[in-house]
Amino acid sequence: MRKIECTLLLLFAGLLATTAQTRTVTGEIFDKADNQPLIGATVAIMSKAGTVANGTTTDLDGKFRIEVPVNVHDLTCRFIGYTTVPVHLRANQNHYKIYMDNQSKELGELIVTGYQAIDRRKLTSAVTTMKISDEKIGAVKSIDQALAGQIAGLSSVTSSGSPGAPVKLRIRGTSSINGSQDPLWVLDGIPLEGTDIPSMEELKDIDNIYQTSIAGINPADIESITVLKDAAATAIYGARAANGVIVITTKQGKAGKPQINFSTKLTYNPKTDIDRLNLMTSEEKVNLELDLLRSDFTYRETKGGVAQILGEYGLTDAYKAGGWDALSPEAQSAVNRLKAINTDWNDILFRGVFNQEYNISLSGGSDKATYYSAVGYYVEQGNVDGVKNDRFNMTLKTNYRINSKLKVGASAFANRRKQHTYLTYSEGFTNPVYYSRIANPYMTPYNEDGSYRYDTNVQHSRGDIAPDFNIFEERANTQNENTSTSLMSIFDAEFKWDEHFKITSQFGLQWDESTIEKYAAHDSYAMRREKVNHIYNGSTILPEGGNNKITENHRTQWTWKAMAEYQNRFKEIHDLELMAGVELRHNEDKSLYSAAYGYDRRTLTSVPIIFPTEQMARNLPLHTETHLENAFVSWFATGSYTLHHRYTLGGSIRFDGSDIFGVAKKYRYLPLYSVSGLWRISDEPFMKNVTAIGNWGLRASYGLQGNIDKNTSPFLIGQYIKTTLLPNNPEDAIRPANAPNPDLRWEKTQSANIGMDISLWDEILSLSVDYYYRKGTDLIGLRMLPLESGYSSTTVNWASMKNEGVEVALTTRNLRTKHFSWFTNLNFGFNKNTVLRETVAENATRPSREGYPVGAIFAYKTAGLDDEGYPLFLNRDGQKVTATEFLKLNNAGASTLSAEEQRNLYSYIGSNEPKVSGGFMNTLKYKKLTLGVNCIFNFGMYVQTTPTYDPTNYDRGLNSNRDILYRWTPENTGASLPKLMTRNDGRTGEYLRYTEQNLYRELDIWVKKQNYFRFESIRLGYELPEKWLKPIGIKSASVSLEGRNLWVIASDYHNYLDPETMGNPYAAPIPKSFIFGLNVNF
Amino acid sequence: MKKQFIQIAFALISAWTLTACNDFLDITPVGKVIPETVEEYRALMTEAYSRLHTDRDKVTFRSDELTMQGEQDATSLDSYLDIWRWMDVGADEATLSFDWGGFYYVSYIANNVIENRNNITAGTADERRQLAGEAYMLRAFVHFCLINLYAEPYTHCDPATTKGIPLKLNSNINEVLARNSVAEVYEAILADINAAEQLLNVEQWPEGQTYRFNTLSVNAFRARVHLYMGNWQQAYDYATDVVTRHGALEDLPTSTVLPNHYLSVEAILSMESIFLSSSLGVGYVSSDLLALYRSGDMRKNKFYRQITASTAEMLKSGAEEFRCTFRSAEFYLTAAEAALELNDTDKALHYLTELMKKRYHSAQYPKYETLVRGMTKDELRQEIHDERFRELAFEGHRWFDLRRTTRPQLTKTYNGETYVLEKDDPRYTLRIPAAAIEANPGLDED
Repeated sequence: MRKIECTLLLLFAGLLATTAQTRTVTGEIFDKADNQPLIGATVAIMSKAGTVANGTTTDLDGKFRIEVPVNVHDLTCRFIGYTTVPVHLRANQNHYKIYMDNQSKELGELIVTGYQAIDRRKLTSAVTTMKISDEKIGAVKSIDQALAGQIAGLSSVTSSGSPGAPVKLRIRGTSSINGSQDPLWVLDGIPLEGTDIPSMEELKDIDNIYQTSIAGINPADIESITVLKDAAATAIYGARAANGVIVITTKQGKAGKPQINFSTKLTYNPKTDIDRLNLMTSEEKVNLELDLLRSDFTYRETKGGVAQILGEYGLTDAYKAGGWDALSPEAQSAVNRLKAINTDWNDILFRGVFNQEYNISLSGGSDKATYYSAVGYYVEQGNVDGVKNDRFNMTLKTNYRINSKLKVGASAFANRRKQHTYLTYSEGFTNPVYYSRIANPYMTPYNEDGSYRYDTNVQHSRGDIAPDFNIFEERANTQNENTSTSLMSIFDAEFKWDEHFKITSQFGLQWDESTIEKYAAHDSYAMRREKVNHIYNGSTILPEGGNNKITENHRTQWTWKAMAEYQNRFKEIHDLELMAGVELRHNEDKSLYSAAYGYDRRTLTSVPIIFPTEQMARNLPLHTETHLENAFVSWFATGSYTLHHRYTLGGSIRFDGSDIFGVAKKYRYLPLYSVSGLWRISDEPFMKNVTAIGNWGLRASYGLQGNIDKNTSPFLIGQYIKTTLLPNNPEDAIRPANAPNPDLRWEKTQSANIGMDISLWDEILSLSVDYYYRKGTDLIGLRMLPLESGYSSTTVNWASMKNEGVEVALTTRNLRTKHFSWFTNLNFGFNKNTVLRETVAENATRPSREGYPVGAIFAYKTAGLDDEGYPLFLNRDGQKVTATEFLKLNNAGASTLSAEEQRNLYSYIGSNEPKVSGGFMNTLKYKKLTLGVNCIFNFGMYVQTTPTYDPTNYDRGLNSNRDILYRWTPENTGASLPKLMTRNDGRTGEYLRYTEQNLYRELDIWVKKQNYFRFESIRLGYELPEKWLKPIGIKSASVSLEGRNLWVIASDYHNYLDPETMGNPYAAPIPKSFIFGLNVNF
Repeated sequence: MKKQFIQIAFALISAWTLTACNDFLDITPVGKVIPETVEEYRALMTEAYSRLHTDRDKVTFRSDELTMQGEQDATSLDSYLDIWRWMDVGADEATLSFDWGGFYYVSYIANNVIENRNNITAGTADERRQLAGEAYMLRAFVHFCLINLYAEPYTHCDPATTKGIPLKLNSNINEVLARNSVAEVYEAILADINAAEQLLNVEQWPEGQTYRFNTLSVNAFRARVHLYMGNWQQAYDYATDVVTRHGALEDLPTSTVLPNHYLSVEAILSMESIFLSSSLGVGYVSSDLLALYRSGDMRKNKFYRQITASTAEMLKSGAEEFRCTFRSAEFYLTAAEAALELNDTDKALHYLTELMKKRYHSAQYPKYETLVRGMTKDELRQEIHDERFRELAFEGHRWFDLRRTTRPQLTKTYNGETYVLEKDDPRYTLRIPAAAIEANPGLDED
């Protein structure tokens, strides 16, 4: 009792004392980075126990006022997202200016893996993080483009220059032969669906406009990207992460005054210059046709402008016998008129375009809540007339601190994209890029009366019944439009029990909807062609009118994960971090295809097709649907233990379970794991005096990843189909899908990684080097079965492969003075892929890749031409021999060698994947000027190109490049390219081999080196001086000028537009562009 | 307290996920199924029936039923010409290959049904037994087709030592088989038919489902197998049993239905579609066959249509409605042939004339009855063979009949060149397709 009284008394006395002796302290709090006042920061007097005894917050101008007892000499300033600042009060000073540090710099030391944020000092795995800024990446249109050349070990190949075309990314080479090779993309912790890129073969079909879900993300919303490369980093993601993981972290609001950012990029893409293609002029082409008509080369003799004119005058035979002088003056002048026309197809099919992009964002918040909202619009016109791509983005992100223990967040990313083009076909000539190369220069697209002139020379197939084609008509009367809408929504919550233990949970929902509408009017080649394909008793079954085909895809996925994390430090030297969690994932894909014929666009009406037979109806389905649903459950755990802040040992494990239909439940779960370690040498006591080394660490990891083929089951799995055996009795039937194979094992990849990070002399030089070794065993592929099994093949474990490589990332600060600085970043990855074992069919005539890279290109070695203008081959003994001797051809063009001997005739030329790829970036700053030069390079890659002309089937109806003019002829015996061969050359076997088996393609002269060094971006930025901006209420602003893809230095790509698109004559070239950028902060 | 909380939270989470997960993962993909019920196994059998392509259209080209005159479009010509002229070595690339694997695909499904017959759920016991019975029949039928395509005829070799085809009696896909002897294959076929006899219980399928084996097809099949083996007594017994139970014949002078139509009164099993519409029109009915029809034979104009003086096309093939495997007329002819070989000329004449009555114009019939009744045994044998040819042409019988009987010399002319298949020519037996040997090199050893 006494005690209490005593305490009360003391307290009262104390209160009296404080009221009696206080002073008023005022001040302002600013953000150290931008000198902006901070609103809502807490200024507090701390009691001895560490709790707030008294406090206040700053007002709208960042000002505060607080009564402080005279015996208190310390205040603390706190603000969410900022480092807490202690303020020591001096006796004679009552006004303070306080600058607080934004913690984002410290956050930079945290590596976001999507599951955890790991302190870089405890990072045991191979991970690269990249902050996204205009300075760093320049004006990219989508985030996959931004990664080119930025990260060691990540190679990127641009498939095409057309708007919205995806970029093929590979992290540390190819790991699977049959499966997907694309990395896993993760947005703010939620893995994305629909990110796989179709194979290059499919991309040749320009009709197939395709975008991955990555294309919907606005690069302006991205804060940073982290690439997880080794098993230690990716094991937590399970089986899907076998090809590496790319983690995107988006921007979020910071507490403080509302910030408004506006940015725009205005781009000019000049018209593509196709001079590099070396196409023939009208004069050259006409002369060539005249020459050929008199020669014994008769392939497509009636094609081409000259043959048509001579045909009209009935002078073909006369010309063949008597030459030019045998022609009538009218015919001569008609041919000469042809020479005078020079249609520049490049000029009329392509265009220079202006493109625009606008982004506006609003962000801010207090220590209770932050927000970030943004809208963006981007539109890109293709250099090919009629091609357009746009994107509208909306992003909303909020975070709330409910109380000291609970934090929640919600975000939504919505976008709508539209790609517009016209119908083209996989066989190629309707593709404008390809057509510009094959259309005859003497041909004009319109008749004199303005109607379309149909090109009768280009149709490859079906000779005389080929439908009429004109590219301008096609552009006007067909349409191919892909509209995608997607919404991604993420909710997360963090419950922090205390400083040691917390529970986090995240729920992500992704909805992607896309509609592809393919429309062809009645007057179009697309429609005419379809009519020809559905003929019954001599006439088409399709009604008059156009057609409209709509494919709708719906994708829904949700992911829910919950994790518990525990961390503690014991006795100052033992750090322990543990995390365990569970994840559920569900995805559903639906598609619906519907086709209407006799379609009229104005009335939206169609006409039913009357099918004469059931078979014809089956060949033209008007309605199809697909549905696919998958579910996954995973458990995972990670742990790390650090001793003396220097030695870290980490491990992770994950069990992935999925709904493999028809698989015993015990096979559902696959354990994947990794172990890793880190030794921070620079923190050793003996390094204390070595001041040159700022940071020095060694990392090592080992992990096991795996995959199983979901399509093969030990049981018979069937697919329902409809069949009709006897008339009028359609029945359900079950068709067994794949041969069940109870012996199938997991596909396994073991990977090891050793890495070193070092920084010297106050970060003048920072270097990361990694060596990795990945070995895939029991890779899944197809094996032939005895036909008595009822099947021809089944999925088996058939191959093994290894990837080994070195990655180097080097950042140097070359110069730094008061006003000038120069940073260089060089990164490159060296990868060597080797197929260790591959089962090849007995009768295969192409060699096994065993001992070679998975992308091995094999070809026949050649040695010039013989004196009849036929290619000579180099045999194993180094002798020059003819094709007949080389392949031991019989008169039917078949080789009499055994399959194995034929395999041995091939020589390995190189791989279609780069040996070395990387980037070289320079940033120079002088006062407010910044110059950035980003270059990317790929070396040691080969590509198999299409021969420039076919020696047996050269089509005189098409234009081609000038190589045909330099072919071997009796007058030009020094040529390096072969003659135009005919059956009457007396070399029937060889002729047939060339014409039927396409021997010419197999020659080594068509395998080209593909080394290039591309100046991807050169950007000059200028920050406008504050004194100009302040009067008009602008906080900061910058302008920039950028040139993209201006130059490329490459090994010979003569006859091609870019080194990248050499293998694909249908791909739009990579456009040059000039960009003006403006960025304003209010 | 804190520890407890963690423990409870953990226990709850793991308990919830563990129990919920297996349900969560149990997704049955739309349209995909692991057959379990009678209905599903029936659908599986329907697939087997629909994929039973017996290659008998191709061997029809090999027999003497068709001529080729080079007026066809080039693609079809290339596909069939070298089969037609027995050019098995160095055949044109476009030549259709015989589908070895397709037979075994059907037997794979049959084996699967047989192996799982006790696991089939739902349905009645009879339905399950019927399914298994059909599977045995189908497997036997596949083996029967294969042995007659790819092995020497039973009647012209030592069945015990002559190599036949591999018997596939289970659904193990990894098994590598060797060829069984001809005798073993026939034994297995008869054993499968016996097994089926114990299980089949549907006597008559409804219209539209008559492609499925019924109880009557057991003896019909047996009659054919024994005929091919030259077991005259059994062939006679089973054939006459079929005729007794199902002897109806279309009366061609009055009927509008072709006898091999699936709705004809003769139909016993409407399983095989011998000629596809695609192979129709590649060749023309051979003039030798047309010449075999006597005046007054209704079949000549009902089965064929004269296009020009020298060419005629078939009317009895090329559409699903002409699916036919067993029909009454075959068993009249089998009974007649077997009776004759058993020296029972009266019975032989009885069954032969019963059929003839329904095929000839009634005014002409008596003349031909007198003709056959006056024949010697050898003449009668030839007459029965000819009648079989006339009746069953283009229904897949001819090539097999040529093989099991005399394997005569055949001569064909195309573009002025003459091709000869010698008597007992080894080409009466097909070579095992290269694709099959490639996948199982053991098949090549003779």
